[in-house]
Amino acid sequence: MRAVLSASRSTEGSETSRRNAIGALLNSPIGSIAITLVLIVLIGLFWIGTSFLTGSNLNIVSTSIAVPLLLATCSAFALLAGVVDLSIGASAGLNATIFAALVLHHWNPWSAALIVACIGIVIGIVNSVVIVRLGAVSIAATLGTLSVLSGLQFVANGTAGSVTVLVPGLYHFANTSVGPMPLVVVLLVVLVVVAVYVVTSTRLGRHIRAVGGDERAATRAGISVSKVRVGSLILSGLGGALAGVLYIGQLGGATNTLGSDVVFLVYAGVMIGGYSIIRGGVGNPAGGAMGLLVIAGVTDIIAVKSINTYYTDVIVGALLLLAVFFDRIRGGDAYE
Amino acid sequence: MRQSQFARYRQTSTSAGTVADPADQTVPGLAKEARVLPEGVATAGILLVVWILLVAVSAIDKANFLSRETLLSVTFTMAVLGVLTVGESLVTISGGVLDLSIPTALILPAWVMATLLVDGINVWLTILVGLLVGIAWGGFNAAIIVFGKLNPIIVTLGTNFAGFAILGIYVQNAVIPVHSGLATFGKGYSLFGLPNVFWLMVVVVALAGYLLPRTRLGRRTIAVGGNPQAAKMRGISLRKTRFGVFMTAGLMAGIAAVLFAASQQTFVSADGTNYLFLAIAATLVAGISLSGGSGHLWVTFLSVGLLSTIPTSLAFFGVPTLWQTVPAGVILVLAVGLDGYRRLRSAR
Repeated sequence: MRAVLSASRSTEGSETSRRNAIGALLNSPIGSIAITLVLIVLIGLFWIGTSFLTGSNLNIVSTSIAVPLLLATCSAFALLAGVVDLSIGASAGLNATIFAALVLHHWNPWSAALIVACIGIVIGIVNSVVIVRLGAVSIAATLGTLSVLSGLQFVANGTAGSVTVLVPGLYHFANTSVGPMPLVVVLLVVLVVVAVYVVTSTRLGRHIRAVGGDERAATRAGISVSKVRVGSLILSGLGGALAGVLYIGQLGGATNTLGSDVVFLVYAGVMIGGYSIIRGGVGNPAGGAMGLLVIAGVTDIIAVKSINTYYTDVIVGALLLLAVFFDRIRGGDAYE
Repeated sequence: MRQSQFARYRQTSTSAGTVADPADQTVPGLAKEARVLPEGVATAGILLVVWILLVAVSAIDKANFLSRETLLSVTFTMAVLGVLTVGESLVTISGGVLDLSIPTALILPAWVMATLLVDGINVWLTILVGLLVGIAWGGFNAAIIVFGKLNPIIVTLGTNFAGFAILGIYVQNAVIPVHSGLATFGKGYSLFGLPNVFWLMVVVVALAGYLLPRTRLGRRTIAVGGNPQAAKMRGISLRKTRFGVFMTAGLMAGIAAVLFAASQQTFVSADGTNYLFLAIAATLVAGISLSGGSGHLWVTFLSVGLLSTIPTSLAFFGVPTLWQTVPAGVILVLAVGLDGYRRLRSAR
């Protein structure tokens, strides 16, 4: 009898703990972003109909998300470590232009990509020197590098304002589909999964979160704050370079304003997904990816319904404020 | 220890208890002012030297640089940017780090004024409405920041995202009627043959710089920016101060919009985007620290002047206009680096 009672009590206990776990998940940033995503899909289904989830529409949405997702996954490590890199969009635009120009001048695409990757790393190092070595406020410092890079992008594109080039192998790679999904996006999903694993289950991930969460505690625990931040900024620069190459694969050319809008999109997306540009140590690559998907879904619905595309930004701005508000209610950074 | 500190605090507060406003007797704001003064003077000196050097080098190399055209081009650029920078600097000094909503804050009142003028509304009434729209925008930002307890950077990023998109829908091509009083004022010149809008900017910067350490709101702004918790302990309302700061910044954007509308015959919403970067650069180049609580508004006059002279100077040296944003970006990176370096050094 006693055994039965205790058994029932234990199942009861496990049930409540399971309910608590589900409640906690729904209450977590990942939970609320997942709910938002489901809501967007439902709105799409009711408003547009089943064509919202057809292969061709999914293909359009996921193609549009490729470059932002690549940038977000790489630069979110910097956010996690407590530094913001606003130069990624301009870096992608400049690197796309340089890559295209090099290939136009009969460079081997692989060596051109290598050069561009080096440029990305140099951008990351310059950002690290100003932010980590001199202790500059990262938002303002990278706003400066953004301005320098976009200026150089204008110069590199010359008076024509654009560079056009077709790299057959790259074009083929960027436009191959696996089922309804572009191959690139499938690879990026793998990258996101790896990033989630690194952030949540490795020592490196713990260190990065510790550095972003509490700099002094991390130092006391023997973690090198500057090494982690320099590494994350270099990764962010490298992400900008790769995104530039991907742009050329997708678009077959660069213009002098390419990438100027994507930086706000990326940061709005990852902030909707649970990252913070004010405080490091919070956020998850999966949440960031879902945040970008929410924006892509809203953009798609507005495009299909042929509503003025400016309304996308209005909705994204409102979503961003709501997301940080709920994060604050949940115990995030209150500004007082 | 803790108790004795508290007792001391109570003692000082009761000894000066007759003073109505606690901020009036907060020495920290003024003490900080006094401490920072040499640094402010040093920044001003460096800026002045660099500015004079830039003008001198340009003038020696290209004799016709020192012309009326150059002077007008530089002073017109300085007018709008100067007033916007005052607003941005106030937010930075108050500890709000940065106001990213400058493009919307500038274009919204300018567009409202253009619409009213086209409808034939009295010019003074139009200007009044424009200023009120600016203040309302600042109040809107402040309401979200204060009641949502959210960081100003994120809030102004979000409101600018939404606000600028709405402007993109409605502002196709705003026109300021040529015969309106505003356009005549904007085209006019006064003292030393310099534009009216320039002199108005000088008055605004001078007045704001004079009033900041000498008014209750100004001193509270400095105190809250320096140490919000200490300011709160002294009985300064953080909420009221933040509303005051952001509405004043909105008023500055409104004044800038008046100057912008007066000197522009037509404009589109995208014309506002460049001012965000320039206002942030001018604030930081003036040595106003992003950690808040210190800074001299008068110095912004020099940083705005320097940043406005660079494009004209480059054009004279035959540098293609494509290069324009590069030097300002380099200067911004250097200024932010110097700001960080100073703070690292003072922390040690």
